[in-house]
Amino acid sequence: MKLARLTAAAGLLAGLLFAPGLRADTLDRAGLVQELCGDAGAMGRAGAALVATAASGSAQDRAFAAPLARAVIDRKLGCDDAGAVLDEGGLDAVSRTPRAAAGTPRSPLLSLKNRPVFELADAAFALRGAPDIAQRAAALKTLERRPAQIPEGLLDTAAAAESDAGLKEQIDTLAQTAALNASDPAARIRAIGRVAETPSRRALTRIAALASDPVYAANPEFRRAVDAATARIERGIALGDTLATLYNGLSFASILFMAAIGLAIIFGLMGVINLAQGELIMIGAYVTWLVQQGLRVAAPALLDWYLVLAIPVAFLATAAIGIALEALLLRHLYKRPLMSLLATWAVSLFLVNLVRVIFGTQNMQFETPFYVSGGVPVIGDFIFTWNRMFAIAFAVVTLALTWGVVRRTPLGLNIRAVTQNRDMAACIGIPTRRVDMMAFGFGSGLAGLAGLALSPIYSVNPQMGQNFIIDSFMVVVLGGVGTIAGTVVAALGIGQINVLIEPLWGAVAAKVIVLLMIIGFLQWRPEGLFAVKGRRK
Amino acid sequence: MIRLGRIGPIVHLTALILMVALALPALSGTPLEISRYLANAIGQLAAFAVLAISLDLIWGYLGILSLGHGLFFALGGYVMAMYLLKHSFVVTGTVPDFLQFMGWKDFPFYWAGFDFFPYALAVATAVTLLISGIFGYVSFRSRVGGVYFAIITQALVYVAMLLMFRNDTGFGGNNGMTGFSVLFGWQMGTSSMITALAVASLVVLALVLLLCRQLVRSRFGALMLATRDDETRLRTLGYETLRLKLLVWCLSALIAMVAGMLYVPQVGIINPRVLSPELSLEIAVWVAIGGRGHLVGAVIGALLVNAVKFWLSSAAPEIWPFILSGLIVLVVLVFPNGLMDLAKFRLTRPMGPKRMAEEMEEARP
Repeated sequence: MKLARLTAAAGLLAGLLFAPGLRADTLDRAGLVQELCGDAGAMGRAGAALVATAASGSAQDRAFAAPLARAVIDRKLGCDDAGAVLDEGGLDAVSRTPRAAAGTPRSPLLSLKNRPVFELADAAFALRGAPDIAQRAAALKTLERRPAQIPEGLLDTAAAAESDAGLKEQIDTLAQTAALNASDPAARIRAIGRVAETPSRRALTRIAALASDPVYAANPEFRRAVDAATARIERGIALGDTLATLYNGLSFASILFMAAIGLAIIFGLMGVINLAQGELIMIGAYVTWLVQQGLRVAAPALLDWYLVLAIPVAFLATAAIGIALEALLLRHLYKRPLMSLLATWAVSLFLVNLVRVIFGTQNMQFETPFYVSGGVPVIGDFIFTWNRMFAIAFAVVTLALTWGVVRRTPLGLNIRAVTQNRDMAACIGIPTRRVDMMAFGFGSGLAGLAGLALSPIYSVNPQMGQNFIIDSFMVVVLGGVGTIAGTVVAALGIGQINVLIEPLWGAVAAKVIVLLMIIGFLQWRPEGLFAVKGRRK
Repeated sequence: MIRLGRIGPIVHLTALILMVALALPALSGTPLEISRYLANAIGQLAAFAVLAISLDLIWGYLGILSLGHGLFFALGGYVMAMYLLKHSFVVTGTVPDFLQFMGWKDFPFYWAGFDFFPYALAVATAVTLLISGIFGYVSFRSRVGGVYFAIITQALVYVAMLLMFRNDTGFGGNNGMTGFSVLFGWQMGTSSMITALAVASLVVLALVLLLCRQLVRSRFGALMLATRDDETRLRTLGYETLRLKLLVWCLSALIAMVAGMLYVPQVGIINPRVLSPELSLEIAVWVAIGGRGHLVGAVIGALLVNAVKFWLSSAAPEIWPFILSGLIVLVVLVFPNGLMDLAKFRLTRPMGPKRMAEEMEEARP
């Protein structure tokens, strides 16, 4: 007993003597263990040494020290006459060779002041060394509670070694927070510069919080750095917002374009406004859903590709409906365009209620394949999302396809001829009735494709068509009858104006203003933007 | 097409309507008294018939299809609702629901004076004339017509609906306005009030019918038909069709407004759904089914379709849309002049030579 007490006293003395010499790079292992078994002050120093080791120690030192921190927290370290024993496996704390405890082992108790230090050290070891992601994430959570205590360099090296992208990002964020709250102004200024490199609203709140820091008033250099960073982030956010608006406008425009292009072709050709166009869009989305459900049963491996596989199905299904509609109904109404409005409205009423009876009124559930999920953050809060990109890319492909059909195929030639002069086209032997039918089928098929492109972005229900029909009418009226270019320009214009006005005065005001602009525009060019030159009918 | 000499049906119908109007109060108290529900339904049907006449005037006689007539109907309805609420507030002190809902202490400033009916009527007339006048002028001036006009009017009513769905406009928002208790100082909801409203609607219907008959039978009516059949020729002959179209358009809007003012006290509610494009399209369907270009046809179409709708909406609401779409297809394909064809048993094959010849003649740019 006496001997044990003597050894402990000697150890304490040695610890006190060696304490200044404790260096992260040359870890004094025996001294560390001795201090761990010492009083509260010694343990505090040992904790600091552990933290330093975790931050900048060599791999071997970290491997040596990590179990010690854990063992002290768990009270699994047995201090005995010959030093200390790790309870787990009965290893000597210094040499890591098996040995039995000499005398009665005593496990040191952490004081309230020391506990956080050891927890910090333990979390720091876990963040850098734990094999399991969950453990590393848990360690990061612990570190996040005390950003100011995290040793400099720890998070940077941990982030560099981190393999998981999500966790790496979290570590980087914490590193910034820690650096911003560091005690050294130079380090803080460097951190401010780094934060400003990736502008976002979150970064702005973080930097703005520094303006109320006492250092901001005291240190002019710090103040300049904060102000410069704020300005830079604000510029970045403004740029990001502008890009986001343009991007949203572009995606809205591409949906408008897809909804309107079929309408424009049919209107140009036959003078018929198809009020059921919105319902054809809805049918296209439902066909997409059916394809998804079919794949789920028949070929689950291909489920991710349902959006691609549904393209021909949606096109053909809606085209078939369109051809049937033309052959059974509209064929008899060409000379009475106003009656054809009512007839197509009857069809739209019928289709909405049919779908409602079959599928119900609830929104359809769609899988989100990997190619339409997530996005790439660009600048500020602007995220280049893939589902919107899908709609835009789809619209571009549709545009190319439509242009190709109208300009490069015999059917397109016939469509253009009949659009220009139906009687003359009939006289030179173009089968105008069949051209009408094919064109109507083509226009309806394009509506089906619009429905497909919408399904990852909008909610799909029986009412969805009605939300688009009036906007797409406006596109046709503005763009002019039956011109692809007019439809593109009008869709872009209306899409962008809508998105520009919406944040200022709301969606309703955007619609009102667009309508008033179109009525005003018709005063100037009653035939639309890209009217075919010729005699006014 | 329209033979100007055919005057019989309108007079007969007017007489019939006035007889019903007389019978309603006369029968009260006798065993033949009709139920409150039926009296209310008759009154609503009369309001719809007035609305159908307003559209027939512009579509059947002028060839301009408006798919936004619900706008003027709703305008009349909203002003009437404002009068009723303000009047009820002044008489009984009941605070309207929407004010409480919005947490407002008082009516917005533009509600001032609405407890005085002549003022409300004047406001309704002025706003209707302003909107229809400006919209008609800019549209007809740039010769927007046919399908274009139909679409833009539909967009107009759609935008108005979106606007009225907003809660901060002071017009009740998406819940609309309801809870009317007093009309001209009399308690609402009583049997005698329901009968009185129905009689008033029938009398207004008869008056509108006679007024429009005089109009379409006059020289002005002949010009309307000429504009419908060949506007270019009429312009070439030196007639100013812009003024003519504008006049008829504004008159039509006013009649629709009156229909709205009759309708609201009878249903006891107005909300933005009245402004939905569907209702405006339905008005065109009534006229098409009844036979456009015939005032009697419009009235019968409105009565018939709505009677079936009233009956089905309690019996089998699911199948009503299917029946309606079937009726429309039947009318546009087989009876191009609606029930007027049926009356004359003039079934024509859709693409038969007779029908083709008619359509060629009828075809207007």
